[in-house]
Formats: sequence, structure tokens, C-alpha cells
Amino acid sequence: MYLYDQLDQTLINERVEQFRDQTNRYLSGKLTEEQFRPLRLMNGLYIQTHAPMLRVNIPYGLLSSKQLHALAHIAQHYDKGYGHFTTRQNIQFNWPKLEQVPDILAELASVQMHAIQSSGNCIRNITCDPLAGVCADEIEDPRPYCEIIRQWATLHPEFSYLPRKFKFAVSGSPKDRAATQVHDIGLHIKKNDAGQIGFEVLVGGGLGRTPVIGQTIADFIAEEDILSYAEAILRTYNRFGRRDNKYKARIKILVRETGLDKFTQQVNSEWQAIREGSLKLSQDEIQRVKRFFAPLAYQTIDNDNALIQDLGNSGSFRQWFIQNTLTHKQTGYQVVFVSLKSPHRAPGDINSEQMSGLAELADQYSFGQIRTTHDQNLALTDVRRADLYPLWQQLSKLDLATANIGTITDMICCPGLDFCSLANASSIDIAQGITDRFTHSAIDTGKISLKMSGCMNGCGHHSIGEIGILGVDKKGEQWYQLTLGGSDSHQSKLGDRLGKAIAKDAVVDAIDDIVQVYKANRVDNENFANTLQRIGLQPFKDKVYDAD
Amino acid sequence: MTLIKDKQIIDDPWCYLSDGHALKASHTIIDPDFWHQNKRSLSGASSPLGLMIPGDQELAELANDLTYFSLIAIHIPTFVDGRAYSLAKLLRERYHYKGEVRAVGDVLPDQAHYLTRVGFDALEFTDHPSASLALKKLSELSVCYQPG
Ligand code: SF4
Repeated sequence: MYLYDQLDQTLINERVEQFRDQTNRYLSGKLTEEQFRPLRLMNGLYIQTHAPMLRVNIPYGLLSSKQLHALAHIAQHYDKGYGHFTTRQNIQFNWPKLEQVPDILAELASVQMHAIQSSGNCIRNITCDPLAGVCADEIEDPRPYCEIIRQWATLHPEFSYLPRKFKFAVSGSPKDRAATQVHDIGLHIKKNDAGQIGFEVLVGGGLGRTPVIGQTIADFIAEEDILSYAEAILRTYNRFGRRDNKYKARIKILVRETGLDKFTQQVNSEWQAIREGSLKLSQDEIQRVKRFFAPLAYQTIDNDNALIQDLGNSGSFRQWFIQNTLTHKQTGYQVVFVSLKSPHRAPGDINSEQMSGLAELADQYSFGQIRTTHDQNLALTDVRRADLYPLWQQLSKLDLATANIGTITDMICCPGLDFCSLANASSIDIAQGITDRFTHSAIDTGKISLKMSGCMNGCGHHSIGEIGILGVDKKGEQWYQLTLGGSDSHQSKLGDRLGKAIAKDAVVDAIDDIVQVYKANRVDNENFANTLQRIGLQPFKDKVYDAD
Repeated sequence: MTLIKDKQIIDDPWCYLSDGHALKASHTIIDPDFWHQNKRSLSGASSPLGLMIPGDQELAELANDLTYFSLIAIHIPTFVDGRAYSLAKLLRERYHYKGEVRAVGDVLPDQAHYLTRVGFDALEFTDHPSASLALKKLSELSVCYQPG
């Protein structure tokens, strides 16, 4: 993985001291709340319902065991002993004390981590495929490019006061596992006929109040031009994006109001002027960064006997193996998903003990690296198949081996009313209700993506869930709007509204109704999306609303 | 108002026409409307002229006129409005403007560093303490990722 050099380290150390000064000035009344707000947001610090919330970046979802140990320590020492992983591969701490945040940042800096631009109207953490570097269908590893873009975007002097937040996602495979179509800029690595690496560039996707699927603005931008092209898009957005209404300030609205053709012209004319300038990437620089992501030192393994025996011996292990692991591109290795959707915790939450335990397992079994996924789970991506059984046993002890990846209980869920001051409705207790209802039938029910947000901002990505749940406020009461048929796969799609909003105590039953209709109608192993497409919304509506 | 120019606090030689100063005074900053209405008489003036533009100014419209101005001030209505940063960058890099580029309006000391990095060489602050703090803030970050 990428390791900081002197420049990277100096920069984040200085940034910590800069933020320390800003915090002190705020606490002593020299900065007003209004002035401090954007400054703290740009450094990942929100003020929420109960306390500040600090969001720490995990660039493109890659963590070392040392970093995970540090996060465990921070959770233990400065928070209530746990953290929460987000859909953008970051981690949030919900209970830090404002005056201690500079110290937390200093601890993070000591393990090459930071919270720079994890919120605010600037370029946010760059996300990518959690299987980067280990999946067989990859054209090129996206992580070096993510790192190159991360560096360009970090403390960018021109793009720190954008109209609104700005998110990048990069995918290196034809199968999009990074939800690039719902990001402000989505990049798909491809190779042209000459074998040159470049990117298809999508622009203007996003969830939130007005969910939009991104459109292609350029079919092929060569790798050396990617920063100048990104700069051209950002400059166009910074100049012309709306600033009069924060709900219309994302780039998707600018693209819509300007029209894709004209917007493309504006970007291209800007790009032509800067394309040959200082942002042009040299092969030296690209190769320098790529070396950090060179293939790991895999062993040559030619027999699978140990695993075959283990699978024969334990049914629960077999179930976990089928549900929570994936084939690796290297023979003899397997990708392991670590479920953060145990029945005993809120989706995405993990405590200090689990973090430390997992960090040790990563050292023992997976080259000391851990990935975060945009489904709010973790992954050990490079485990020898012969080690799966002992790994599973130890994960089980840590309550990190719930065999439910991809099922209805592996839901995405924002913090909702319990923590977030913008929420209309709670999501954690609904998640708990769904988990309780489906824990024993989840695997049999099959793969269903359920995503839930506590308000229109859509941090839980409800609009691209096969089942989406959105909390709405009706005269001070919590209600829930259901949608069906969304997708975040290669062809992203927004879900359709099922009908009128549903009262809180009826939500779990409604989800149960939906699952029953699916199970009654599926043919063979047909998945939820296909059944829905074949039979339409009506049978689901009938069941959910007639049952009232 | 306290002015930082080239990383030092100095007395401001400029005044704004909008403040009611007579145009005859040397070093006057005017707005684009006034310029367009009086271009003929102004373009012969021998005393230095400055122009204050808003954040949504289309620079192409001014491209041929930039040589008449020793100073371009960009007005920042609120400190979270980042358009000025792109305008300054364009003035310097696209239009090769060599005169003073000044940030005017709602500017925080914490922003001084980024402002100077995108091409501003002059920053106006409401008072002396803010300007002194801004000077300190200029040297907080000694390195950066972006070229140029
Ligand atoms: S979706 Fe709404 S309630 Fe949930 S975290 Fe985002 S802003 Fe808060």
C-alpha cells in the first residue's frame, strides 16, 4: 500500500497544528461558529445531536493493521469504545470531545491517516473497488490512480470552497463495484486499441434529494491527462455551479441546467488550455505510485486438501465459506468478507476489541492489510485457502463471522435519528427489527440489497437499494417510504416508489411481505431484481397495502 | 481596512470610486459598468486604474482591456464563495495578468494561504489583528501536493 514520504508526513503534521489553532481560536471565542463551521467540516468534524462526530478518511478503503490498531485505540481512549464504517469506506467516531480532536488527529497522523476533506464543500475521499488488485476481471488496479488523484485533491487551494461536496469513485473492472454512476465524477479504467490505459469519465451522478445516474462526458481520457481533465471539470463547476440554493448546488444540477453538450464544451475548452501544463503525469510518477501496489508475495499453492477437508467437517464453516468468501485471482487464495452486520450491533459498527483482534488476524493471515467496503463491511482480501478454517474460528470468537454477506440482513444503514441532527426518522432500530426477523431465513432468502437512510440526504443509499427505505417526517412522526428495484451494479438504477409511506411499527412487516411475494414468485434461483422485473410492482403493492 | 501586499502589511495607495472618491485621484478602483461607460476617456488616463470584478465575471469580456488596469480586485461576497479562487488562477495563468490581484470582501485569515497560492498578491482585511493573523497563517503549511 502507499507509504508516506517526507512531504506527505510534513503536510499532515502541519495540517494538525493548523487545525489545533483553529479549534483553540473557536474555543476562546476568536472564531465565530459560522466561521469555524466550514473550517472544521473541511477537517471531518460535524456537530451532531449528542456530540461532535469525526469522520476519518480511509483512502480508497485500504488500511494497514497498524492503522486499524490506532483506530481501536482512538475508539477506546477518546470515544465510547467503538467506531462506525460508512458507505464511502471511511470510519466515523460519534463521541469525541471537541477539545480532544486535535490530539486525535495527531495520533492519526502518526500512522499516516487524517480527516482532511472527509466532509465540507470540497473534494472528498476517493473511493474504489474493494476488490482492487485481487479480482480476476480487473483491467488495471485502480488504487494507484486513486492515490494520484488523492494527492492532487488534498488541500487543493482552488477547490476548497466549492458550491457543494464533490465525490470521486474509480473502478478498474468492467463490473463496477464502486458505484461510479452515483458519484460526481466516476472513472472507469479502460484500455484503448493501442493498449494505452485511460478512463471513461462519468459526471453528475449522485444520490441525495435528487438522485441522478452519471452520464459519460468523455469516452477515453489517457492516464497522463486525468488530473488536467479533473481540474477542468472542477474549475468549470467551481465557477458556474449554483451557490444560491444548497439543494441545487451539486454538479449534477449544473450539468442538468447547462445541458451535457454545453457543459462538455466548457470543460473541453478549459481542458485544452491546461492539458499540456504542469498537471500532465509523467510515466515516472505513475510508475512510482504503482510500485506501492505491486502484487503481494503470494505462495504457489497447488493443493486444496486442507480446505476440502474443513468444508466437509463443519456445516457452519461451509455456510460462511459460501456466503462470505470469494475466489481470488491467485490460485490457493480467497477473499474474505468480514461482516459488520451481526445481530448484536448496529450495521457498520465495530468495537475496539474487534478492531484490534481483526488487525492481529490480518497480520497473521492476510499480509497485514484490511479493506473497507461501501457496504459497510470489512475484508481480508488475501487469505490462503488452507487458513480459512482457523481464520473463521477466530472471526467467530470476535463476532465478525455472521454468514450474511449480500443477504437482506447485510443491509446498509445510516446513523439516522440516533446520531444525526438532519434525520427525519431512526434507522438503527428498524435495522434491528429486520435483523431479528430475518436472521434465520436470510441465506435461504438469497441475495437482496436493502439500503436505508434516515432522510432525503440519502447517506444510506436507499434509492439504489433493491429494497430502499427512506425515513420521512409526517407532522413530527417517523414514517418510512419504500422503494423497490434500485441497483448499484454496473447499470445503476433508481428504485421505484412502492406507494404511500408506512408507519414505523409496520415497516418490518412490510419488508416481510415483500420478501414473501418474492419467494412465492421466484422461479428456480431467480434473484430479487429479476423476479421484480418479471412480475412488476403490483403484486408487492397488493400484499403490502392490502395487509393494512 | 488593512492591506497585505506581497506578504507584508502596507498602507493602501488605492481608493474605491464607489466610496465617493473623485476619479482624478490617482489609484482609483472602478467597477465594470463605469469602465464600459467611460472607456474612451479613461483609457487615456495616465494615473493607475484598478477594476473590481464580481465572482461571476466572464473574463473573456475583459481580455482586451486588462492592459489598462494595474490592479484587478475580485469581490468575495461571503468567505465560503470559492469562485474568486478560479478567477484569480485564470487571470494569472490564462490571461497572463501581471498586475496586482486583490481579494476584497469577506476574507478569513485562514484563507490567506490558499488565496496567495492561486494568484492573489494582495488581501484586504477589516482590521489589523486579522491581517497580522493572516500573515502568520501564510507560513503554516510549508509543502503542498499541487504543482505551480
Ligand atoms: S441520510 Fe440523513 S439521517 Fe442519515 S446520516 Fe445522512 S443526513 Fe443523517
